[in-house]
Amino acid sequence: MNRLYDMEPRVMDDEMLKLAVGEQGPREEAGQLAKQEGILFKDVLSLQLDFQNILRIDNLWQFESLQKLQLDNNIIEKIEGLENLTHLVWLDLSFNNIEAIEGLDTLVNLEDLSLFNNRISKIDSLDALVKLQVLSLGNNHIGNLMNVIYLRRFKALRTLSLSGNPVAEDEDYKMFICAYLPDLVYLDFRRLDDHMKELAEMKHQYSIDELKHRENLVQARLEDEQARREELEEHKAAFVEQLNGTFLFDSMYTEDVEGSKLSHLPGVGELLEAYKDKFVIICLNIFEYGLKQQEKRKAELDNFMECVQEAIQENQEQGKLKIAKFEEKHLLSLNAIREESELSNIEAKIVQYSEDITELFNVLMTLEMQLMEQLEETINMFERNIIDLVGLFVENVQSLMAQCRDLENHHHEKLLEIAINILEKIVKGEMDEDLPDDVRSLFVDKDTIVNAVGASHDIHLLKIDNREDELVTRVNSWCTHLLDKIHKDEIMRNRKRVKEINQYIDHVQSELDSLECGDLLD
Amino acid sequence: MVQAVLKATSSLDSQRHARMEVLKEKVEEEEAAEREEAAERAERGEKTKRPMEVRRGETTMTQEMLRDLERKLSEIEVSVPEKILTFTKDTIDTSKLPLSYQSNTLKEEHLLQVADNFSRQYSHLCPDRVPLFLHPLNECEVPKFVSTTIRPTLMPYPELYNWDTCAQFISDFLSMVPLPDPLKPPLYLYSSTTVLKYQKGNCFDFSTLLCSMLIGAGYDAYCVNGYGSRDLCYMDLTREVCPLTMKPKETVKEEEKAPPKKYAIKPPRDLTSRFEQEQEMKRQEAIKAEEENRRKQEEARLLEQENAKTDPLHGLRVHSWVLVLSGKREVPESFFIDPFTARSYSTQDDHFLGIESLWNHKNYWVNMQDCWNCCKELVFDLGDPVRWEYLLLGTDKPFLSLTEEEDEGMNDDDDVENLGKEDEDKSFDMPPSWVEQIEISPEAFETRCPNGKKVIQYKRAKLEKWAPYLNNNGLVCRLTTYEDLECTKTLEVKEWYQNREDMLELKHINKITGLNVDYFKPGHPQALRMHSYKSMQPEMDRVMEFYETARVDGLIKREETPKTMTEYYHGRPDFLSYRHVNFGPRMKKLALNSAESNPRPMVKITERFFRNPAKPADEDVAERVFLIAEERIQLRYHCRSDHITANKREFLRRMEVDSKGNKIIMTPDMCISFEVEPMEHTKKLLYQYEAMMKLKNEEKLSRHQAWESELEVLEILKLREEEEEAHTLTISIYDTKRNEKSKEYREAMERVLHEEHLRQVEAQLDYLAPFLAQLPPGEKLTRWQAVRLKEECLNDFKQRLIDKANLIQARFEKETQELQKKQQWYQENQVTLTPEDEDLYLSYCSQAMFRIRILEQRLSRHKELAPLKYLALEEKLYKDPRLVELLKVFV
Repeated sequence: MNRLYDMEPRVMDDEMLKLAVGEQGPREEAGQLAKQEGILFKDVLSLQLDFQNILRIDNLWQFESLQKLQLDNNIIEKIEGLENLTHLVWLDLSFNNIEAIEGLDTLVNLEDLSLFNNRISKIDSLDALVKLQVLSLGNNHIGNLMNVIYLRRFKALRTLSLSGNPVAEDEDYKMFICAYLPDLVYLDFRRLDDHMKELAEMKHQYSIDELKHRENLVQARLEDEQARREELEEHKAAFVEQLNGTFLFDSMYTEDVEGSKLSHLPGVGELLEAYKDKFVIICLNIFEYGLKQQEKRKAELDNFMECVQEAIQENQEQGKLKIAKFEEKHLLSLNAIREESELSNIEAKIVQYSEDITELFNVLMTLEMQLMEQLEETINMFERNIIDLVGLFVENVQSLMAQCRDLENHHHEKLLEIAINILEKIVKGEMDEDLPDDVRSLFVDKDTIVNAVGASHDIHLLKIDNREDELVTRVNSWCTHLLDKIHKDEIMRNRKRVKEINQYIDHVQSELDSLECGDLLD
Repeated sequence: MVQAVLKATSSLDSQRHARMEVLKEKVEEEEAAEREEAAERAERGEKTKRPMEVRRGETTMTQEMLRDLERKLSEIEVSVPEKILTFTKDTIDTSKLPLSYQSNTLKEEHLLQVADNFSRQYSHLCPDRVPLFLHPLNECEVPKFVSTTIRPTLMPYPELYNWDTCAQFISDFLSMVPLPDPLKPPLYLYSSTTVLKYQKGNCFDFSTLLCSMLIGAGYDAYCVNGYGSRDLCYMDLTREVCPLTMKPKETVKEEEKAPPKKYAIKPPRDLTSRFEQEQEMKRQEAIKAEEENRRKQEEARLLEQENAKTDPLHGLRVHSWVLVLSGKREVPESFFIDPFTARSYSTQDDHFLGIESLWNHKNYWVNMQDCWNCCKELVFDLGDPVRWEYLLLGTDKPFLSLTEEEDEGMNDDDDVENLGKEDEDKSFDMPPSWVEQIEISPEAFETRCPNGKKVIQYKRAKLEKWAPYLNNNGLVCRLTTYEDLECTKTLEVKEWYQNREDMLELKHINKITGLNVDYFKPGHPQALRMHSYKSMQPEMDRVMEFYETARVDGLIKREETPKTMTEYYHGRPDFLSYRHVNFGPRMKKLALNSAESNPRPMVKITERFFRNPAKPADEDVAERVFLIAEERIQLRYHCRSDHITANKREFLRRMEVDSKGNKIIMTPDMCISFEVEPMEHTKKLLYQYEAMMKLKNEEKLSRHQAWESELEVLEILKLREEEEEAHTLTISIYDTKRNEKSKEYREAMERVLHEEHLRQVEAQLDYLAPFLAQLPPGEKLTRWQAVRLKEECLNDFKQRLIDKANLIQARFEKETQELQKKQQWYQENQVTLTPEDEDLYLSYCSQAMFRIRILEQRLSRHKELAPLKYLALEEKLYKDPRLVELLKVFV
């Protein structure tokens, strides 16, 4: 906005940020420490950059854990450069020259947003701010009262300020907002009383009811879609998606030009109908079988995971117990060493102590090794079982698919028979029914019609094969992925544990060493 | 000298006693004579009269004999025991008993005949068995059949609805009187109302009362006449273990072993020698067996010792108890209840040595089974006529379907089967009970025991019971257990309290260790649950438990020893679970040495925390130790779920000064830390400095809290002492009898109401008020005024009477005239009238006539009453307090 002082716009550079961070950092003793060490930008939680004549927001990407940012009283024209500040809770951009709300799509934790005294004319682009509680939009150019309805989606919004906007001139302004944002508690820094809310609700009841109805419809549709998507997801996990209907059958005929032409032949319609019914029944069989197998696999996996977890848990408990025991002893022996005055005794104790450490290391490592071996065995067993299960599933699906193919072959024979019959009739001129021209064009000689029927048949077989291949590959790849992951996880776990044990032993050892050093120095 | 006086008094007592007896005898004689006449009129059977005659024989002592006896008695010095143990009918006032007690109805007579017949046949068939207990005399010397003495009653107290509490109540409520002859059933069986009134009775009274209540409550209960052990008959529990001392059996739940899962890991191979294990096991077993053997021997020896005294009359002692059969009220199995002790026994118990007969309010059964092996082999299938011979046919007990056919065949050869089954009996059922309804007043119910106190001696234990509010410290029950059989060395004392204001419920004193444990109900001002201590002095060993939900700080338990204090918490927002404080020796301070003014220095505070789910595990402190003396703080963090080691951190709080004299704020060696997964920011000095500053504050806070805990202990101890001294009892607001406040309030309310009522009555009757109102207010009446007032009042009343008479007269005349007119009209138009009009006319006539008659009656009544009313008013005016002084002269 217009400033009384007209300074040159400044750039947000490192220097400026460092200065601000240093000024706003810890005080007194802590401040001394901070100065000694320096403060990293990524540790800063709150930053104040007001009255700096900043034109463009920049260089803020390092402040990853920033929670509060004040950029008020600058000459910023566009909201930008805030994408990395995902932990931001408090953002103040008041008294700037912003014309549109934008660039806030990553700030999902934002609760308090102030855009007071800017040039905004439309409330928009706030969808990501699901936790928004306070929104200050006073002294802007918002002119459409209907724009407020946009704010209905923020369920946590309690405080709103819109005074100083053209909309606030509207005589119905307060009532309207009260009615459309019933959860609002403060409007323009004043509390909304219950009486007012009641009045507003009564006044706008019909339109709000309508709005609610529409919102509910949308909501319901979304939920419906969600449910459907989830169901499909589930079917996909079982590798039998879209086999619970005519989808495969329909897809067989979508690319099959000859097939659809041939279906116009007399007698083919009924044949096709019967074929479809049988085909769909087999598909359904595959589908149900797939779901059942999926459940079986899941149960197997759950069982396995549970057992593994239990084993690991038990092993951890043992390890913890061992460490706790050691630590008790450790404290005592450390104290004993400290208090011992005789040098030879000290040495003896140190030796004893380091033996203890070695023993602990051995015990923990043995435990880990034991667990690893046990898990290895269990994993192998699981591997065998799951591969068997998948193999069985594939086999059965293949046999069912073979049935589909048989049906197709059967259908093909019948179709061919009918086609040849018709061809004969046409040749003999006995054909009394009218055939569409493109169909009739097929019946020129035997080769043409046989080729056409054959092409249709080939397409169908191809579709069936493709679906089968897809299923088999996917289930196999799932199986390999799963097993890979299990193996990898186990290796990771093992490495982590070994690392942990080593680290701990190192720590204990270093404690002993430092003690030794101290003793030697003394 | 004193003895002589005592003797004199006791002889006086005995004289009085004897005289009373004589008087009673006389009364009885007359009554007996009357009853005999009545009995003859009723033409009762031969045998039923017999007990009466026997009784009469006893009573027909001449006056001389009595006098003689009296003299003799007065000479004998009898030391009358304070408590009259024998419950004779002399103490019963029979004159106020209802008629059903004093005579028999026709049906009852009939029943007695039947019973006699049955008894005759029974003694004929089973000559070696004792006569049946069928119709003993009641308190009015009238023979009553035992079944009619049972009066099924459902008591209005919920406590009496279940058999256990009901039996307990009866055993508490009545005091036990042994049978006059332990080998025979008593001659008398009093009604339950009498028994309840005098609160004592023998086993038959007990079981009759209990049976009445149980049947009333829906149980299938029977009175049993049989034989019991000596302990049972004399309610001797000294050889029984007190049920309160027995520990409730811990139901050890067998942990269900889940079937091994498919992917359960295989355990690591066991490399120990199995042979060695087996050898070890064998050795252990041998030791165990030896121990067991020794224990058994010891037990046997003890048992022998205890059972040294055998009873010479074993198996002959008559006892009565209650049998509850399975089936009704969800009783799964038949069992006995001994009414003296209210304990239940299985039907196989050793104490019960045989059954003669049993009865309920509907029928009477004789046991035909052999009792050689106590009651162990008895079958309680009352429908089986071979085992149980019934007196009346047609009870609700189902016959065994099997025996029905056999019955026919057996009728001829087996006479026992035929007993009491004559044709005339078939339509006969038990007459209703002659006993009045059993009633127990709420006061009596609450007082429970006679005089509200009862003492039961058990094996190595003594149980004392009191009614609530009897002891002013709320003591209701005390169990003293002893080490030896002679009850000389006290082991421990348990005292139960009720209605205490401080919610004290149970006090457990162990005499050997000197440990006192107090248990509290919820509601103590400091939320105490349990307090165990050896002395009430502070800083001693003690444990206090609390109702943590009632406390803001969530404290569960606080344990103290002279040097430490340990507190356990639950459900705190800061997740603190445990705080342990070590105290050092107190600083020498001569002036005051109380804990309040000079707290002991704390050396070490250990605090543990539950896991805070909001924080990641490696930032969530699990334990922190403030070593105050060493100025060190140790932190241990929680372990992450996939780790076995946890972060640790140790801060040295010591302030140091560097070579130039500047204060060193923070150096890396002031914080030693171990991190499972090293993090960047924790290495920073700033972070460590901030953490240490925070910990310093928290240390202060912890010390303050520990100090507050100490203060609280002192406060609680003080409060407990005060409570022990005051021991005030709470009174429920619904207890209108005891609640003084509500009583006062109620009485005040009643008084106010009563006064109000009186005032209203007075206000209504003030005839003089309208006349007094004419006079100037506040002035005293002169005589002339008074006279005038009276005259006016009377005149006015007279006028009113006359007016009223006139009014009635006027109405009467009007009514008559109208009727006449109507009649005239009717006579003139009689010819032209339609039937409807005629009907209308007739109904009008009858109504009018009715009205006229009523008016006539009212008038005559008014004429009659008016002078009386006038006189009454005059009388009242003469007596009016405002006029009486002034009018006196004229009277």
